[in-house]
Amino acid sequence: MKREILARILLLALCLVVVLIPLALRDRSLTLRARMPEDDGWSPQVIQAAAGQPLRLRLTSEDVTHGFAVGQMEMASVDVLPGVVSEVTLLFDEPGIYTFFCTRWCGLNHWRMRGTIEVSGGDAPALADAPLYVALGLDIDAPHPVPGVPSQIPSAARGGQLAEIVSLAEFSTPEYYRAHSPYQVYQDLVSTNLNAAERWDVVSYLWRSQTTAEGLAEGARLYAQNCAACHGETGGGDGVFADQLAASGQSSSQTMHGSMSARTPADFTDAQNMLGASPALLQGKLMRGGMGTGMPMWGVIFTEEQSWNIIAFLYSFQFQYQGVTR
Amino acid sequence: MKSAMIFRLLMLAGGLALALLPSFAQAAPPVERVFRIEASSFAYKPGQIQLNLGDRVTLELVSMDVVHGLYLDGYDLSLTADPGQTARLTFVADRAGSFRFRCNVTCGAMHPFMIGKLTVGPNHSFTLAAGLTISAIAIFLLIHPRRASQ
Amino acid sequence: MTRHELTRFPLIKALLKNRWPQLAVYAALLAGFIFAIFAGFVGSPVGNHNFSIVFVWIAWWAMLILAAVPFFGRGWCAVCPIPLPGEWLQRGAILELAPTGKGVSLGRRWPNPLRNIWMQNISFTLVALFSSVILTMPLITAVVLSAMFFLAIGSSMVFERRAFCRYLCPVGGFIGLYSQIAPLELRVKTTRACASCKEKPCYHGSEAGYGCPWQVFPGGLQKNSYCGLCMECLRTCPVDNIAVNLRPFSSDLATPTKRLDEAFKAFIMVGAALIYAGVLLGPWGALKDAAYRIGSGVWFAYVGVFLSVLFVLMPSLYALAVKAGMLLAKTSSAVRPAFAAMSAALVPLGLMFWVAFSLGFVFTNATYILAALSDPLGWGWNLFGTANIPWQPLFTGLLAPLQTLVLIAGMLWSAGTAQKIASAAGVRPLPVIIYCLLATLVMLGLLL
Repeated sequence: MKREILARILLLALCLVVVLIPLALRDRSLTLRARMPEDDGWSPQVIQAAAGQPLRLRLTSEDVTHGFAVGQMEMASVDVLPGVVSEVTLLFDEPGIYTFFCTRWCGLNHWRMRGTIEVSGGDAPALADAPLYVALGLDIDAPHPVPGVPSQIPSAARGGQLAEIVSLAEFSTPEYYRAHSPYQVYQDLVSTNLNAAERWDVVSYLWRSQTTAEGLAEGARLYAQNCAACHGETGGGDGVFADQLAASGQSSSQTMHGSMSARTPADFTDAQNMLGASPALLQGKLMRGGMGTGMPMWGVIFTEEQSWNIIAFLYSFQFQYQGVTR
Repeated sequence: MKSAMIFRLLMLAGGLALALLPSFAQAAPPVERVFRIEASSFAYKPGQIQLNLGDRVTLELVSMDVVHGLYLDGYDLSLTADPGQTARLTFVADRAGSFRFRCNVTCGAMHPFMIGKLTVGPNHSFTLAAGLTISAIAIFLLIHPRRASQ
Repeated sequence: MTRHELTRFPLIKALLKNRWPQLAVYAALLAGFIFAIFAGFVGSPVGNHNFSIVFVWIAWWAMLILAAVPFFGRGWCAVCPIPLPGEWLQRGAILELAPTGKGVSLGRRWPNPLRNIWMQNISFTLVALFSSVILTMPLITAVVLSAMFFLAIGSSMVFERRAFCRYLCPVGGFIGLYSQIAPLELRVKTTRACASCKEKPCYHGSEAGYGCPWQVFPGGLQKNSYCGLCMECLRTCPVDNIAVNLRPFSSDLATPTKRLDEAFKAFIMVGAALIYAGVLLGPWGALKDAAYRIGSGVWFAYVGVFLSVLFVLMPSLYALAVKAGMLLAKTSSAVRPAFAAMSAALVPLGLMFWVAFSLGFVFTNATYILAALSDPLGWGWNLFGTANIPWQPLFTGLLAPLQTLVLIAGMLWSAGTAQKIASAAGVRPLPVIIYCLLATLVMLGLLL
């Protein structure tokens, strides 16, 4: 009888131990779980924090590779891998509502995979400035085709040589650049008595001089990570998700200006459209997103500087920047 | 019976031929090739790739939905691609045979079965194995003719 | 035929008779089993970082198909934790013998129409059809394991002895079939001693132990198929007439079955191995998609093909081969008994098909075992420092040669088996041998 009781105790104890010990050892701190947006994305989706207090987050994925970063904060993104736990500690100086987002493409709806961190305490944050397109009164949804496109790809190097013999003072300010489309500048350059091809080269040079090699590199990097999956690695609107986006557009009655192709990602190699868009207009579309199209709203993710770098990179699908080293 | 013996000897010859002849086949000259492989959960497209021995091959891995990888058995090569960022790898196909390539980035439930097949030259592994199998059974039947029945 | 009695050695006999070593193994495996279920329900849903997937479908499966079954027959059944709580409740005790009547069970006899392995054929086929989610999703594994657990406990409450193990367990079906080739067996030493034994405590139980839970009369044991190596009869036999022997491989196939349920089990296993090799290890994404999208139209098509291959195509072609063999032998007896007898040739073939298939994913994924040891729940633990070992397929260069060797061995083994059985069955074995050869070539084509 004693042996029987011993045996029963041994077995019961062993079976309970394998269940109770893991439960006891379970880390109870906040764990942010990632799933594809089709399976509800982040959980939790809202996190509370306090300004000035470190927020430690454990991150894990329950299906595919994801990543984590907080918008408009200078932080390296953290990979969130399936079955693996990574950690990040965040520190917020200012209160406000911060957006965290997935940084590794995890399906068609990857860009929707966002959540918020509500940071309390301290003084109420200053309101952000309205984006430039609002100040300029631009209708960023209006079509912007141009009547004529350059016959050859405008070269910033050639434009740079021309810039030495022509006065371009009024065309060289950031404010001028941001508020005018390349086509408008091409037209305004008529006053320099250059021919059409030369004027396009100067436009290309002006566009290139409003950014730097580092800025373009960052633009390229952000484009590759965030835009290429839909807009294509070579900007042609033919990214890996383009077909699915077009298909979802055809089944929807909400399209901009009645055009069925409005859901296909924009083609940045299309000169007729790109050259009619000012940087402010493009920045507006980027930051606000397109209502009714699949274009996400990036305003809470990119900083101002990052957005201008991306826009500068987009024009490199139209202009030849090789030969300029600045 | 004589015919049975002849049949088995033919089988043995056939098996040995299948096992050994492909090694003497005239190898096609090596060329430069580029393969665009689309990876989606849970398959590669194309799922099967045929190369000649000595080909200089560039593999372009294009992920179509989530982050996928490609690990090539035998060559111990590895690629990872995010959607929107094609990954490229160039190598010389200097080993003959049939090699599986597998996804090495967890991409969902069926990830362990996300497999493709890369064959360099004729599929030696298979022809050798099939030939040996046929030869083995032929030898077996020659050594052990059927037990006397009633 | 040389048999070597292992229980001749006092240490071995003592270890097998004593209940404590067996209980220690039971305890460890039961705890592991419960942990696997727990991990499946509570741990990370990512299969390759969860103990339930890694330790059940990679580690345990590898151990089973590469070691336990080929060398120990029903050796796994001897230690399997699934029937234990039910059996303890039935007996009213874990270790000590309880007087009869202390257990909790209706103790009914298993119904006659189900006294065969058809239920096991069906349960294995069901698991196979849903394997794309069972093998990959921890939650589903946990559900399946729990279902087996509760079914076993439930059957023990209603029926006598190990009804689940003998008639329902999907794994037990093929373990029994393949145990016929194992070099280990439990048999009586002499049938004379049994003839003069009145009480048959090996079947009915005594103060020394319980009656055979597998519903087998040890004195009549001719094959390994239904003996679960639980050692109760070793404890109860009053005249020490039970022996555990080492013996040549596939000894049991010398007396082939007459039963269609066992014959069909052989087809199910060979067919499933072929389909798995193509669908799971092959490069055809459309097939994997069909197997994975359960409930969709393509999945039903896949189910249709799967069932037709296993239950219609392969058996019919084999029947044709048997019939051709009968025509060649100029016999005019019935096909059915010859068909059942000749199905024995598929036993070594099927086992080798499963070994070759399993090698294909065990070596590839073995590194997950080390990682899951340190972080069994995918919670970020690192118990033994191995949690971050990256996935790396092992021995990929050895895989094709090993699989070739295994499949050739299986082919020759099945040819030899076919020849041995053929004359008694009244057929010429050549058509069946050709069938096995063709099946082997298809398997090679799928794996290599």
